Amino acid sequence: MEAAERALLEKTVRDALEGAPTGVDRVLAELGWLEMLASEPRDAVDVVFTALGATNATATVLDDVLAVALGLDPSPDRVVLLPPFGSWAAPETSGLATVRVGAVGELVVVSDGGRRRALVPAVDVAVTPVHGVDPEAGWCAVRVEGAGTDATALDPGVWDEAVAAGRRAVAHQISGACRTMLTLAREHAIERVQFGRPVVRFQAVRHRLAEALVAIEALDATLAAAWDEPGPMTAALAKASAGRAARTVTTHCQQVLAGVGFTTDHQFHRYLKRVLALEGLFGGADDVVTALGHTLIATRTAPTLVDL
Amino acid sequence: MEIAEFRTGLAAWLDEHADELAAPFAPPGTLDDQVEQMQRVKALLHAAGWMRWGWPERVGGLGGSPILRTELGAQLVGRDLIDPGIFSLVEVLAPTLVDFAPPQLAADVVPRLLSGEEMWCQGFSEPATGSDLGALTCRAVADGDPESAATWIVNGQKVWTSLAQYSERCVLLTRTGSTESRHRGITAFFVDMDTPGITVSPIEMINGVPEFAEVFFDDVVVPADRMLGELHGGWAVAMSILPYERSSCFWQRTAYLQRRLQLLVDVVPDDDRTAAVVGEAYLQLHQLRARSRATQHRLAGGATLGAETSIDKVLVATTEQTLYDAALRLLPGTVQFDDSAAGEAWRAEYLYSRAATIYGGTAEVQRNIIARRLLDLGEE
Repeated sequence: MEAAERALLEKTVRDALEGAPTGVDRVLAELGWLEMLASEPRDAVDVVFTALGATNATATVLDDVLAVALGLDPSPDRVVLLPPFGSWAAPETSGLATVRVGAVGELVVVSDGGRRRALVPAVDVAVTPVHGVDPEAGWCAVRVEGAGTDATALDPGVWDEAVAAGRRAVAHQISGACRTMLTLAREHAIERVQFGRPVVRFQAVRHRLAEALVAIEALDATLAAAWDEPGPMTAALAKASAGRAARTVTTHCQQVLAGVGFTTDHQFHRYLKRVLALEGLFGGADDVVTALGHTLIATRTAPTLVDL
Repeated sequence: MEIAEFRTGLAAWLDEHADELAAPFAPPGTLDDQVEQMQRVKALLHAAGWMRWGWPERVGGLGGSPILRTELGAQLVGRDLIDPGIFSLVEVLAPTLVDFAPPQLAADVVPRLLSGEEMWCQGFSEPATGSDLGALTCRAVADGDPESAATWIVNGQKVWTSLAQYSERCVLLTRTGSTESRHRGITAFFVDMDTPGITVSPIEMINGVPEFAEVFFDDVVVPADRMLGELHGGWAVAMSILPYERSSCFWQRTAYLQRRLQLLVDVVPDDDRTAAVVGEAYLQLHQLRARSRATQHRLAGGATLGAETSIDKVLVATTEQTLYDAALRLLPGTVQFDDSAAGEAWRAEYLYSRAATIYGGTAEVQRNIIARRLLDLGEE
């Protein structure tokens, strides 16, 4: 996508999400989300998930990303069972689902360690809304109580690619949320006066904000690499980078926002809670990093994944 | 010459000449060993043409994108053929001559640096001028009218001048205006190090290597035609180095750190604690490579690099220290007590890595730049 076209898309999606506190899925559908996902998947996922993160809007488009990765046509009637919080293994009989699960007739379930894909009718699943730290996100805990129909054998690696697709999408969402948190903290630091001057003039405050920007830029570079060289490793690294950025940015921005960032009067708390939840989807950074370390040691290889 | 063709061609050539290129000493070797090795490798590469790609034809190069130079350095470092710290001086100094020297001077001297015939050093920092380069005081006075004088007289002191004791030439920043003129009163010269009045006194670093030196200038006579850039235009010369330092040199540093991580991965046990430390270093290296690659491509695409490269600088420094912290944790006692050559190398490199947040603009200066220029937070 050309830079100008891409910038227009970013603005269009962002404006639409900011004007739509509810019904975000419908708004995205009207903007041509599924068509974009088919024709320009990189720009579609980047722009839409970044905007979701930046505006703290809630949507269920992650189901579409997973459906495509699992070889299915995405549709508003299709929901994919995600691994439980903190895991990236095939969900087998339990996991998380978007709020879309309450409105569809069947659920896509991957089991047998990623080798089997089946459709489980809604009557055979137990759905429990998860309140948790971020009730507005609408996550549901799902327990599968039937074997399902239309069982299909999946090629080895398909589930890993689906996890990679999910990780890229969630990492974009975290990136968008991190940029907004940094913007909020920056604005506060400029306006807030203590000791007779704006707190932004204190070097300790400036360095926290600088640290947050470094983390976000590192994440965005890693995301670009995850699209340039798509695969499970680069996606895992992007997701781990997102987890690290989330921790750095929330810590520094909350400290700069100080008292007001500790209240629900200020919107910072929504972003903090959203990234706390997103960080665990498809594995938290600590677990992903440790797993990568095991892979490197087991193969005695630290591969370079990007070259000039 | 395209980058992919260059990469495979160079790799094949390096494989073919591996015996000839290999260092004749066990790493780390002394600084004398390392300098001799670097000049020998440069000579072989220059004769075979590899060292000339990416440099303009008017200084004896074969043309092509500067990315070719970056790839060359990365492959040499990745094979442990040269030390990236001392090799980076080529990238820091030669472009200055290409861009700012009188054309004939550049054509005469740049091939000597590239071919390993000469070493050059960079006379920027002074005892009272570390991060605050604009405050430098080493003075150059025209012998007559500044606009027409045939010679300039230099008096003062430089410090942290890497490899000054090996160098034939020095790219020197001098004060030609008042001290209050700061960056507007600085002029650059290309000075022969055998000029009477220059005294070099090496400084031993924390790892025992005398890489740096103090350089004293006592009534040193410099011909006016050795001025680089305009009179009082030295700040532009100094700043022109930034894009090369922040692109090629960082990418080569990354290749070097990648090689160190591989050395760790070769030997460490496969347990959760080790895997967490290895994985973290790998994540940081990958982030750095991803960022640095984007920077290389922006530069190659004609972009002007600026304050945003402070992000690259923070990442490279943080990653380097994380990597050597990992070595300290995962190779028990190696840095502290291992007297083998391998132990010496880890120890020297670990100690050197502590400077990564100090040289080239401290970690604090980088964060100040990010705050002021990238986040637009205004003055402190």
